[in-house]
Amino acid sequence: MSGPVERVGAAALDRLRAARDLWRLYVSTIAGLGRALARRRDHAGPPRGELGRQMFHIGNRSLGFVIVTLGFIGMVVTFEACLQLSRVTGDYSTVGGQMIRLVISDFGPTLTAMMLATRVGAGIAAELGSMKVTEQIDALRMSGVLPVDYLIVPRFIASVLMTVVLTVIGTLVMYGAGGLTAWRSFAVNPSLYFDISLVRPRHVAIGVLKAVAFGAAIPIVAGFCGLRARGSSEGVGWATTAAVVGSSFAVIALDFVISAAALWVTGGDL
Amino acid sequence: MSALVLTHVTKRYGTRLVLDDISLELARGARLGLIGPAASGKSVLLKLVAGLEQPDAGTITVLGDTITRPHVREVDLGELRKRIGMLFQSYALFDFLDVAGNVAFPLEQRGGIPAAEIAERVAARLRAVGLAGSERKLVGELSGGMKKRTGIARATVADAELVLYDEPTAGLDPVTTQKIYDLLAADQQRTGASVLAVSSDVAALAELVDEIAFLYRGKIVYRGPARSIRDAPDPLVRQFVRGELDGPLTEAIG
Ligand SMILES: Nc1ncnc2c1ncn2[C@@H]1O[C@H](COP(=O)(O)OP(=O)(O)OP(=O)(O)O)[C@@H](O)[C@H]1O
Ligand SMILES: [Mg+2]
Repeated sequence: MSGPVERVGAAALDRLRAARDLWRLYVSTIAGLGRALARRRDHAGPPRGELGRQMFHIGNRSLGFVIVTLGFIGMVVTFEACLQLSRVTGDYSTVGGQMIRLVISDFGPTLTAMMLATRVGAGIAAELGSMKVTEQIDALRMSGVLPVDYLIVPRFIASVLMTVVLTVIGTLVMYGAGGLTAWRSFAVNPSLYFDISLVRPRHVAIGVLKAVAFGAAIPIVAGFCGLRARGSSEGVGWATTAAVVGSSFAVIALDFVISAAALWVTGGDL
Repeated sequence: MSALVLTHVTKRYGTRLVLDDISLELARGARLGLIGPAASGKSVLLKLVAGLEQPDAGTITVLGDTITRPHVREVDLGELRKRIGMLFQSYALFDFLDVAGNVAFPLEQRGGIPAAEIAERVAARLRAVGLAGSERKLVGELSGGMKKRTGIARATVADAELVLYDEPTAGLDPVTTQKIYDLLAADQQRTGASVLAVSSDVAALAELVDEIAFLYRGKIVYRGPARSIRDAPDPLVRQFVRGELDGPLTEAIG
Protein backbone atom coordinates (compact mmCIF):
# COMPACT_ATOMS: atom_id res chain seq x y z
CA MET A 1 0.00 0.00 0.00
CA SER A 2 2.61 2.55 1.08
CA GLY A 3 5.55 2.93 -1.26
CA PRO A 4 9.15 3.66 -0.29
CA VAL A 5 8.69 7.40 -0.76
CA GLU A 6 5.76 7.51 1.63
CA ARG A 7 7.69 5.45 4.14
CA VAL A 8 10.72 7.73 4.03
CA GLY A 9 8.41 10.73 4.30
CA ALA A 10 6.62 9.25 7.28
CA ALA A 11 9.92 8.45 9.00
CA ALA A 12 11.14 12.00 8.41
CA LEU A 13 7.90 13.40 9.80
CA ASP A 14 8.30 11.16 12.85
CA ARG A 15 11.80 12.53 13.42
CA LEU A 16 10.59 16.09 13.08
CA ARG A 17 7.77 15.46 15.49
CA ALA A 18 10.18 13.85 17.97
CA ALA A 19 12.51 16.84 17.71
CA ARG A 20 9.61 19.18 18.36
CA ASP A 21 8.47 17.12 21.37
CA LEU A 22 12.03 17.05 22.72
CA TRP A 23 12.20 20.83 22.44
CA ARG A 24 8.83 21.10 24.19
CA LEU A 25 10.06 18.92 27.02
CA TYR A 26 13.07 21.19 27.38
CA VAL A 27 10.88 24.28 27.49
CA SER A 28 8.50 22.78 30.02
CA THR A 29 11.41 21.66 32.17
CA ILE A 30 12.64 25.25 32.30
CA ALA A 31 9.08 26.36 33.09
CA GLY A 32 8.92 23.64 35.74
CA LEU A 33 12.12 24.98 37.23
CA GLY A 34 10.38 28.33 37.58
CA ARG A 35 7.33 26.67 39.13
CA ALA A 36 9.56 24.79 41.58
CA LEU A 37 11.17 28.05 42.70
CA ALA A 38 7.80 29.76 43.07
CA ARG A 39 6.16 26.88 44.94
CA ARG A 40 5.23 27.33 48.54
CA ARG A 41 6.83 24.90 50.93
CA ASP A 42 3.61 23.23 52.10
CA HIS A 43 2.41 22.84 48.56
CA ALA A 44 2.33 19.86 46.31
CA GLY A 45 5.43 18.73 44.48
CA PRO A 46 8.18 16.18 44.65
CA PRO A 47 8.78 14.71 48.10
CA ARG A 48 11.13 16.56 50.40
CA GLY A 49 14.76 15.61 49.90
CA GLU A 50 14.18 14.38 46.35
CA LEU A 51 16.88 16.67 44.95
CA GLY A 52 19.43 15.41 47.46
CA ARG A 53 18.49 11.83 46.68
CA GLN A 54 18.92 12.39 42.95
CA MET A 55 22.26 14.12 43.45
CA PHE A 56 23.45 11.23 45.56
CA HIS A 57 22.28 8.74 42.93
CA ILE A 58 24.04 10.53 40.09
CA GLY A 59 27.16 11.60 41.95
CA ASN A 60 27.87 8.64 44.16
CA ARG A 61 27.16 5.99 41.58
CA SER A 62 29.30 7.61 38.89
CA LEU A 63 32.24 8.92 40.90
CA GLY A 64 34.40 5.81 40.72
CA PHE A 65 33.50 5.23 37.12
CA VAL A 66 34.52 8.77 36.13
CA ILE A 67 37.75 8.69 38.13
CA VAL A 68 38.91 5.38 36.64
CA THR A 69 37.99 6.27 33.07
CA LEU A 70 39.44 9.77 33.02
CA GLY A 71 42.52 8.64 34.92
CA PHE A 72 43.32 5.98 32.35
CA ILE A 73 42.64 8.24 29.40
CA GLY A 74 44.85 10.93 30.96
CA MET A 75 47.69 8.43 31.21
CA VAL A 76 47.29 7.17 27.66
CA VAL A 77 47.01 10.62 26.10
CA THR A 78 50.04 11.98 27.97
CA PHE A 79 52.08 8.89 27.22
CA GLU A 80 51.31 9.18 23.51
CA ALA A 81 52.11 12.89 23.49
CA CYS A 82 55.44 12.37 25.24
CA LEU A 83 56.26 9.45 22.99
CA GLN A 84 55.72 11.56 19.88
CA LEU A 85 57.72 14.44 21.34
CA SER A 86 60.59 12.12 22.27
CA ARG A 87 60.86 11.11 18.61
CA VAL A 88 60.85 14.68 17.37
CA THR A 89 62.27 17.33 19.68
CA GLY A 90 62.56 15.61 23.02
CA ASP A 91 61.37 18.86 24.60
CA TYR A 92 58.63 18.07 27.12
CA SER A 93 58.20 21.56 28.49
CA THR A 94 54.90 22.22 26.70
CA VAL A 95 53.22 18.89 27.47
CA GLY A 96 51.67 19.98 30.77
CA GLY A 97 50.51 23.35 29.45
CA GLN A 98 48.85 21.86 26.37
CA MET A 99 47.36 19.07 28.42
CA ILE A 100 45.68 21.32 30.99
CA ARG A 101 44.07 23.46 28.29
CA LEU A 102 42.81 20.45 26.45
CA VAL A 103 41.55 18.78 29.61
CA ILE A 104 39.85 21.86 31.06
CA SER A 105 37.94 23.02 28.03
CA ASP A 106 37.40 19.74 26.21
CA PHE A 107 38.38 16.31 27.49
CA GLY A 108 37.31 16.87 31.10
CA PRO A 109 33.70 17.90 30.51
CA THR A 110 33.16 15.78 27.39
CA LEU A 111 34.53 12.49 28.70
CA THR A 112 32.84 12.94 32.07
CA ALA A 113 29.54 13.67 30.35
CA MET A 114 29.94 10.66 28.04
CA MET A 115 30.28 8.45 31.09
CA LEU A 116 27.24 10.08 32.69
CA ALA A 117 25.27 9.78 29.46
CA THR A 118 25.54 6.00 29.59
CA ARG A 119 25.05 5.57 33.28
CA VAL A 120 22.66 8.35 34.25
CA GLY A 121 20.86 8.37 30.91
CA ALA A 122 20.13 4.66 31.07
CA GLY A 123 19.00 4.93 34.69
CA ILE A 124 16.58 7.78 34.05
CA ALA A 125 15.14 6.21 30.91
CA ALA A 126 14.62 2.83 32.55
CA GLU A 127 13.00 4.34 35.61
CA LEU A 128 10.67 6.69 33.77
CA GLY A 129 10.01 4.15 31.02
CA SER A 130 8.82 1.54 33.46
CA MET A 131 6.63 4.12 35.16
CA LYS A 132 5.20 4.97 31.77
CA VAL A 133 4.33 1.44 30.71
CA THR A 134 2.80 0.60 34.09
CA GLU A 135 0.64 3.74 33.84
CA GLN A 136 2.21 5.28 36.93
CA ILE A 137 2.79 8.43 34.89
CA ASP A 138 -0.95 8.56 34.16
CA ALA A 139 -1.65 8.00 37.85
CA LEU A 140 0.60 10.96 38.69
CA ARG A 141 -1.30 13.09 36.20
CA MET A 142 -4.59 12.04 37.79
CA SER A 143 -3.39 13.45 41.11
CA GLY A 144 -2.91 16.80 39.42
CA VAL A 145 0.85 16.35 39.19
CA LEU A 146 2.84 17.37 36.14
CA PRO A 147 5.25 14.52 35.42
CA VAL A 148 7.81 17.07 34.26
CA ASP A 149 7.73 18.88 37.60
CA TYR A 150 7.70 15.74 39.66
CA LEU A 151 10.18 13.58 37.76
CA ILE A 152 12.26 15.62 35.32
CA VAL A 153 12.96 18.85 37.21
CA PRO A 154 14.70 17.25 40.23
CA ARG A 155 16.77 15.04 37.93
CA PHE A 156 17.59 18.03 35.75
CA ILE A 157 18.88 20.15 38.63
CA ALA A 158 20.77 17.23 40.14
CA SER A 159 22.32 16.32 36.82
CA VAL A 160 23.51 19.86 36.07
CA LEU A 161 25.06 20.26 39.52
CA MET A 162 26.65 16.83 39.62
CA THR A 163 27.98 17.03 36.07
CA VAL A 164 29.82 20.20 37.02
CA VAL A 165 31.16 18.64 40.22
CA LEU A 166 32.20 15.41 38.51
CA THR A 167 33.76 17.37 35.64
CA VAL A 168 35.96 19.22 38.11
CA ILE A 169 36.97 15.94 39.72
CA GLY A 170 37.46 14.23 36.35
CA THR A 171 39.55 17.12 35.05
CA LEU A 172 41.83 17.07 38.08
CA VAL A 173 42.20 13.29 37.91
CA MET A 174 42.96 13.29 34.20
CA TYR A 175 45.49 16.10 34.49
CA GLY A 176 47.04 14.52 37.55
CA ALA A 177 47.25 11.06 36.00
CA GLY A 178 48.91 12.63 32.96
CA GLY A 179 51.48 14.35 35.19
CA LEU A 180 52.20 11.11 36.97
CA THR A 181 52.72 9.31 33.67
CA ALA A 182 54.99 12.02 32.27
CA TRP A 183 57.06 11.98 35.43
CA ARG A 184 57.35 8.18 35.85
CA SER A 185 57.76 7.24 32.18
CA PHE A 186 59.54 10.22 30.69
CA ALA A 187 61.05 11.85 33.78
CA VAL A 188 59.25 15.13 33.08
CA ASN A 189 59.71 17.39 36.08
CA PRO A 190 56.31 17.75 37.83
CA SER A 191 56.89 21.46 38.44
CA LEU A 192 57.25 21.84 34.68
CA TYR A 193 54.18 19.71 33.88
CA PHE A 194 51.94 21.24 36.53
CA ASP A 195 52.55 24.77 35.34
CA ILE A 196 49.13 26.34 34.85
CA SER A 197 50.23 29.83 33.87
CA LEU A 198 48.92 29.32 30.32
CA VAL A 199 45.36 28.67 31.53
CA ARG A 200 43.14 31.64 30.96
CA PRO A 201 39.71 32.32 32.48
CA ARG A 202 38.06 31.70 29.11
CA HIS A 203 39.28 28.09 29.12
CA VAL A 204 37.67 27.52 32.46
CA ALA A 205 34.52 29.31 31.29
CA ILE A 206 34.23 27.06 28.25
CA GLY A 207 34.71 23.98 30.41
CA VAL A 208 32.03 25.04 32.86
CA LEU A 209 29.66 26.02 30.08
CA LYS A 210 30.08 22.62 28.47
CA ALA A 211 29.57 20.80 31.75
CA VAL A 212 26.34 22.71 32.37
CA ALA A 213 25.09 22.13 28.82
CA PHE A 214 25.87 18.40 28.97
CA GLY A 215 24.38 18.07 32.43
CA ALA A 216 21.20 19.71 31.17
CA ALA A 217 20.98 17.65 27.99
CA ILE A 218 21.36 14.18 29.50
CA PRO A 219 18.25 14.13 31.75
CA ILE A 220 16.13 15.84 29.09
CA VAL A 221 17.04 13.38 26.33
CA ALA A 222 16.85 10.38 28.65
CA GLY A 223 13.61 11.55 30.26
CA PHE A 224 12.15 12.14 26.83
CA CYS A 225 13.00 8.59 25.77
CA GLY A 226 11.60 7.17 29.00
CA LEU A 227 8.33 9.08 28.78
CA ARG A 228 7.86 7.87 25.21
CA ALA A 229 8.23 4.19 26.13
CA ARG A 230 5.36 2.07 24.85
CA GLY A 231 4.09 -1.43 25.38
CA SER A 232 5.76 -3.42 28.11
CA SER A 233 9.27 -4.26 29.29
CA GLU A 234 10.48 -4.50 25.72
CA GLY A 235 9.46 -0.88 25.23
CA VAL A 236 11.48 0.05 28.32
CA GLY A 237 14.51 -1.71 26.84
CA TRP A 238 14.16 0.22 23.62
CA ALA A 239 13.75 3.46 25.51
CA THR A 240 16.89 2.79 27.53
CA THR A 241 18.97 2.06 24.46
CA ALA A 242 17.62 5.13 22.73
CA ALA A 243 18.45 7.22 25.78
CA VAL A 244 22.09 6.09 25.89
CA VAL A 245 22.58 6.65 22.17
CA GLY A 246 20.66 9.93 22.18
CA SER A 247 22.31 11.49 25.20
CA SER A 248 25.81 10.46 24.09
CA PHE A 249 25.11 11.98 20.72
CA ALA A 250 23.77 15.13 22.37
CA VAL A 251 27.02 15.46 24.33
CA ILE A 252 29.14 15.18 21.21
CA ALA A 253 26.95 17.54 19.20
CA LEU A 254 26.91 20.14 21.97
CA ASP A 255 30.68 19.79 22.38
CA PHE A 256 31.11 20.62 18.72
CA VAL A 257 28.67 23.52 18.79
CA ILE A 258 30.13 25.11 21.91
CA SER A 259 33.73 24.66 20.73
CA ALA A 260 32.88 26.19 17.36
CA ALA A 261 31.06 29.06 19.00
CA ALA A 262 33.99 29.69 21.34
CA LEU A 263 36.41 29.77 18.40
CA TRP A 264 34.16 32.16 16.57
CA VAL A 265 33.68 34.46 19.56
CA THR A 266 37.39 34.63 20.34
CA GLY A 267 38.33 34.94 16.69
CA GLY A 268 40.36 31.73 16.79
CA ASP A 269 42.55 32.96 19.65
CA LEU A 270 41.67 30.42 22.32
CA MET B 1 -25.26 20.61 34.81
CA SER B 2 -23.82 17.40 33.44
CA ALA B 3 -20.92 15.61 35.01
CA LEU B 4 -19.84 14.39 31.63
CA VAL B 5 -20.66 15.14 28.01
CA LEU B 6 -19.06 13.40 25.05
CA THR B 7 -20.01 14.64 21.61
CA HIS B 8 -19.05 12.74 18.47
CA VAL B 9 -15.89 11.35 20.02
CA THR B 10 -13.70 9.26 17.76
CA LYS B 11 -10.46 7.56 18.76
CA ARG B 12 -8.06 5.64 16.53
CA TYR B 13 -4.86 3.77 17.26
CA GLY B 14 -3.06 3.45 13.97
CA THR B 15 -5.63 2.11 11.59
CA ARG B 16 -7.79 0.58 14.30
CA LEU B 17 -10.92 2.58 14.97
CA VAL B 18 -11.54 2.04 18.68
CA LEU B 19 -14.28 4.56 19.41
CA ASP B 20 -16.49 5.55 16.53
CA ASP B 21 -18.45 8.79 16.88
CA ILE B 22 -19.62 8.29 20.46
CA SER B 23 -21.96 10.72 22.15
CA LEU B 24 -22.75 10.21 25.80
CA GLU B 25 -24.05 12.26 28.68
CA LEU B 26 -23.95 11.66 32.40
CA ALA B 27 -25.93 13.85 34.79
CA ARG B 28 -24.41 15.05 38.07
CA GLY B 29 -24.74 12.39 40.71
CA ALA B 30 -25.77 9.78 38.14
CA ARG B 31 -24.18 6.36 38.03
CA LEU B 32 -23.46 4.67 34.75
CA GLY B 33 -21.99 1.26 34.16
CA LEU B 34 -20.11 0.46 30.98
CA ILE B 35 -19.89 -3.07 29.65
CA GLY B 36 -18.67 -4.58 26.43
CA PRO B 37 -16.55 -7.37 24.97
CA ALA B 38 -12.81 -7.47 25.55
CA ALA B 39 -10.87 -4.80 23.66
CA SER B 40 -14.02 -2.89 22.81
CA GLY B 41 -12.52 0.35 24.06
CA LYS B 42 -13.88 0.64 27.58
CA SER B 43 -10.55 1.55 29.15
CA VAL B 44 -9.79 3.91 26.29
CA LEU B 45 -13.08 5.69 26.92
CA LEU B 46 -12.21 6.18 30.60
CA LYS B 47 -8.78 7.55 29.68
CA LEU B 48 -10.34 10.02 27.29
CA VAL B 49 -12.70 11.18 30.02
CA ALA B 50 -9.73 11.63 32.37
CA GLY B 51 -7.94 13.65 29.69
CA LEU B 52 -5.06 11.17 29.66
CA GLU B 53 -5.56 10.62 25.95
CA GLN B 54 -6.88 13.01 23.33
CA PRO B 55 -9.62 11.96 20.90
CA ASP B 56 -9.06 12.28 17.16
CA ALA B 57 -12.36 14.07 16.81
CA GLY B 58 -15.14 15.31 19.05
CA THR B 59 -15.26 17.18 22.33
CA ILE B 60 -15.41 16.05 25.92
CA THR B 61 -16.66 18.17 28.78
CA VAL B 62 -16.02 17.02 32.32
CA LEU B 63 -17.59 18.73 35.36
CA GLY B 64 -18.25 21.76 33.20
CA ASP B 65 -14.74 22.05 31.72
CA THR B 66 -13.92 21.15 28.14
CA ILE B 67 -10.84 18.98 28.23
CA THR B 68 -10.22 18.34 24.56
CA ARG B 69 -7.70 20.26 22.50
CA PRO B 70 -7.38 22.96 21.40
CA HIS B 71 -9.34 24.25 24.39
CA VAL B 72 -6.96 22.99 27.01
CA ARG B 73 -3.34 22.20 27.72
CA GLU B 74 -1.96 19.55 30.05
CA VAL B 75 -0.88 22.20 32.57
CA ASP B 76 -4.47 23.39 32.97
CA LEU B 77 -5.93 19.96 33.60
CA GLY B 78 -4.35 19.45 37.02
CA GLU B 79 -6.99 21.26 39.04
CA LEU B 80 -9.82 19.45 37.29
CA ARG B 81 -8.16 16.07 37.76
CA LYS B 82 -7.97 16.61 41.50
CA ARG B 83 -11.79 16.46 41.41
CA ILE B 84 -11.72 13.11 39.61
CA GLY B 85 -10.93 9.75 41.19
CA MET B 86 -9.66 7.04 38.91
CA LEU B 87 -9.03 3.36 39.40
CA PHE B 88 -6.83 1.94 36.66
CA GLN B 89 -7.47 -1.53 35.33
CA SER B 90 -3.82 -2.43 35.92
CA TYR B 91 -3.75 -0.60 39.31
CA ALA B 92 -0.96 1.82 38.28
CA LEU B 93 0.32 1.93 41.85
CA PHE B 94 3.46 3.96 42.54
CA ASP B 95 6.17 1.40 43.17
CA PHE B 96 8.42 3.96 44.84
CA LEU B 97 5.86 4.34 47.64
CA ASP B 98 4.35 1.93 50.14
CA VAL B 99 0.63 1.22 50.47
CA ALA B 100 -0.06 4.15 52.79
CA GLY B 101 2.07 6.45 50.62
CA ASN B 102 0.06 5.51 47.56
CA VAL B 103 -3.25 6.20 49.25
CA ALA B 104 -2.00 9.45 50.79
CA PHE B 105 -0.64 10.71 47.48
CA PRO B 106 -3.75 12.44 46.07
CA LEU B 107 -4.33 14.20 49.40
CA GLU B 108 -0.70 15.32 49.70
CA GLN B 109 -0.75 16.71 46.19
CA ARG B 110 -3.79 18.86 46.95
CA GLY B 111 -1.64 20.86 49.30
CA GLY B 112 -2.81 22.53 52.49
CA ILE B 113 -4.20 19.41 54.19
CA PRO B 114 -2.47 18.88 57.56
CA ALA B 115 -0.37 15.72 57.79
CA ALA B 116 -2.37 14.44 60.76
CA GLU B 117 -5.62 14.67 58.82
CA ILE B 118 -4.07 12.90 55.84
CA ALA B 119 -2.84 10.07 58.08
CA GLU B 120 -6.27 9.71 59.62
CA ARG B 121 -8.10 9.61 56.31
CA VAL B 122 -5.62 7.15 54.85
CA ALA B 123 -5.96 4.85 57.85
CA ALA B 124 -9.76 4.98 57.60
CA ARG B 125 -9.67 4.21 53.87
CA LEU B 126 -7.30 1.29 54.33
CA ARG B 127 -9.55 -0.13 57.06
CA ALA B 128 -12.53 0.21 54.74
CA VAL B 129 -10.88 -1.82 51.96
CA GLY B 130 -9.52 -4.38 54.44
CA LEU B 131 -5.88 -3.39 54.24
CA ALA B 132 -5.33 -2.28 57.84
CA GLY B 133 -1.93 -3.57 58.90
CA SER B 134 -0.46 -3.48 55.38
CA GLU B 135 0.36 0.24 55.44
CA ARG B 136 4.11 -0.21 55.23
CA LYS B 137 4.15 -2.93 52.58
CA LEU B 138 5.73 -2.05 49.26
CA VAL B 139 3.78 -2.50 46.07
CA GLY B 140 6.00 -5.39 45.00
CA GLU B 141 4.98 -7.32 48.11
CA LEU B 142 1.25 -7.19 47.45
CA SER B 143 -1.03 -9.80 45.92
CA GLY B 144 -3.14 -8.85 42.92
CA GLY B 145 -6.22 -8.37 45.06
CA MET B 146 -4.35 -6.23 47.56
CA LYS B 147 -3.10 -4.05 44.71
CA LYS B 148 -6.65 -3.64 43.45
CA ARG B 149 -7.85 -2.64 46.89
CA THR B 150 -4.95 -0.19 47.32
CA GLY B 151 -5.94 1.31 43.98
CA ILE B 152 -9.54 1.63 45.13
CA ALA B 153 -8.44 3.30 48.35
CA ARG B 154 -6.30 5.76 46.37
CA ALA B 155 -9.11 6.53 43.92
CA THR B 156 -11.67 7.18 46.66
CA VAL B 157 -9.62 8.81 49.42
CA ALA B 158 -10.06 12.36 48.20
CA ASP B 159 -13.87 12.28 47.84
CA ALA B 160 -13.87 13.08 44.14
CA GLU B 161 -16.86 14.56 42.34
CA LEU B 162 -16.51 12.13 39.47
CA VAL B 163 -15.17 8.64 39.89
CA LEU B 164 -13.97 6.38 37.08
CA TYR B 165 -13.60 2.73 37.99
CA ASP B 166 -11.97 0.35 35.54
CA GLU B 167 -12.80 -3.19 36.67
CA PRO B 168 -13.00 -2.45 40.41
CA THR B 169 -13.39 -6.09 41.38
CA ALA B 170 -11.76 -8.19 38.67
CA GLY B 171 -9.59 -10.76 40.42
CA LEU B 172 -11.21 -10.40 43.84
CA ASP B 173 -12.99 -13.22 45.65
CA PRO B 174 -16.81 -13.06 45.84
CA VAL B 175 -16.96 -11.88 49.44
CA THR B 176 -14.41 -9.12 48.90
CA THR B 177 -16.19 -8.17 45.67
CA GLN B 178 -19.41 -7.68 47.61
CA LYS B 179 -17.57 -5.68 50.28
CA ILE B 180 -15.97 -3.44 47.69
CA TYR B 181 -19.26 -2.79 45.92
CA ASP B 182 -20.94 -2.00 49.25
CA LEU B 183 -18.11 0.41 50.01
CA LEU B 184 -18.32 2.11 46.61
CA ALA B 185 -22.10 2.42 46.94
CA ALA B 186 -21.79 3.86 50.47
CA ASP B 187 -19.16 6.34 49.23
CA GLN B 188 -21.39 7.42 46.42
CA GLN B 189 -24.33 7.89 48.82
CA ARG B 190 -22.18 10.01 51.11
CA THR B 191 -20.47 12.20 48.50
CA GLY B 192 -23.09 12.24 45.75
CA ALA B 193 -20.33 11.70 43.21
CA SER B 194 -21.05 10.85 39.61
CA VAL B 195 -19.87 7.36 38.71
CA LEU B 196 -18.65 5.80 35.48
CA ALA B 197 -17.75 2.19 36.15
CA VAL B 198 -16.47 -0.49 33.80
CA SER B 199 -16.95 -4.06 34.96
CA SER B 200 -17.36 -7.55 33.59
CA ASP B 201 -19.18 -8.57 36.74
CA VAL B 202 -22.53 -7.33 35.45
CA ALA B 203 -24.59 -8.59 38.38
CA ALA B 204 -22.51 -6.73 40.96
CA LEU B 205 -22.21 -3.68 38.72
CA ALA B 206 -25.99 -3.50 38.42
CA GLU B 207 -26.21 -2.91 42.17
CA LEU B 208 -23.86 0.07 42.03
CA VAL B 209 -25.17 1.90 38.97
CA ASP B 210 -28.55 3.09 37.74
CA GLU B 211 -27.94 2.58 34.07
CA ILE B 212 -25.73 0.38 31.97
CA ALA B 213 -24.34 1.16 28.53
CA PHE B 214 -23.12 -1.48 26.12
CA LEU B 215 -20.08 -0.62 24.03
CA TYR B 216 -19.73 -2.68 20.91
CA ARG B 217 -17.62 -2.15 17.82
CA GLY B 218 -16.79 1.41 18.76
CA LYS B 219 -20.38 2.46 19.40
CA ILE B 220 -22.67 2.59 22.39
CA VAL B 221 -25.34 0.33 20.99
CA TYR B 222 -27.52 0.19 24.06
CA ARG B 223 -28.17 2.18 27.21
CA GLY B 224 -30.84 1.19 29.69
CA PRO B 225 -31.74 0.61 33.32
CA ALA B 226 -29.28 -1.54 35.24
CA ARG B 227 -31.85 -3.55 37.16
CA SER B 228 -33.40 -5.10 34.09
CA ILE B 229 -30.22 -5.46 32.04
CA ARG B 230 -30.68 -9.21 31.82
CA ASP B 231 -33.94 -8.61 30.00
CA ALA B 232 -32.72 -5.77 27.81
CA PRO B 233 -34.60 -5.47 24.52
CA ASP B 234 -31.37 -5.62 22.54
CA PRO B 235 -30.55 -9.29 21.82
CA LEU B 236 -26.80 -8.47 21.68
CA VAL B 237 -26.86 -7.12 25.22
CA ARG B 238 -29.04 -9.96 26.50
CA GLN B 239 -26.69 -12.53 25.12
CA PHE B 240 -23.61 -10.73 26.46
CA VAL B 241 -25.03 -10.30 29.95
CA ARG B 242 -26.34 -13.84 30.21
CA GLY B 243 -23.16 -15.27 28.76
CA GLU B 244 -25.02 -17.40 26.22
CA LEU B 245 -23.06 -19.03 23.47
CA ASP B 246 -25.74 -18.81 20.78
CA GLY B 247 -26.86 -15.46 19.53
CA PRO B 248 -26.06 -12.44 17.39
CA LEU B 249 -22.87 -11.65 19.34
CA THR B 250 -21.25 -15.00 18.55
CA GLU B 251 -22.36 -14.80 14.94
CA ALA B 252 -20.85 -11.36 14.64
CA ILE B 253 -17.56 -12.39 16.22
CA GLY B 254 -17.62 -15.53 14.10
N1 LIG C 1 -2.02 3.09 23.82
C1 LIG C 1 -2.54 2.29 22.89
N2 LIG C 1 -1.90 2.11 21.73
C2 LIG C 1 -2.41 1.33 20.76
N3 LIG C 1 -3.56 0.67 20.87
C3 LIG C 1 -4.26 0.79 22.00
C4 LIG C 1 -3.79 1.60 23.08
N4 LIG C 1 -4.69 1.53 24.08
C5 LIG C 1 -5.67 0.71 23.65
N5 LIG C 1 -5.43 0.26 22.40
C6 LIG C 1 -6.30 -0.62 21.62
O1 LIG C 1 -7.62 -0.18 21.76
C7 LIG C 1 -8.50 -1.26 21.86
C8 LIG C 1 -9.38 -1.11 23.07
O2 LIG C 1 -8.59 -1.23 24.24
P1 LIG C 1 -9.21 -1.12 25.70
O3 LIG C 1 -8.08 -1.27 26.65
O4 LIG C 1 -10.03 0.10 25.81
O5 LIG C 1 -10.14 -2.39 25.77
P2 LIG C 1 -11.16 -2.76 26.93
O6 LIG C 1 -12.53 -2.63 26.39
O7 LIG C 1 -10.84 -2.03 28.16
O8 LIG C 1 -10.82 -4.30 27.08
P3 LIG C 1 -10.70 -5.19 28.40
O9 LIG C 1 -12.08 -5.57 28.79
O10 LIG C 1 -9.92 -6.37 27.93
O11 LIG C 1 -10.01 -4.38 29.43
C9 LIG C 1 -7.65 -2.52 21.85
O12 LIG C 1 -7.70 -3.09 20.58
C10 LIG C 1 -6.28 -2.03 22.15
O13 LIG C 1 -5.33 -2.80 21.47
MG1 LIG D 1 -9.94 -2.40 29.85
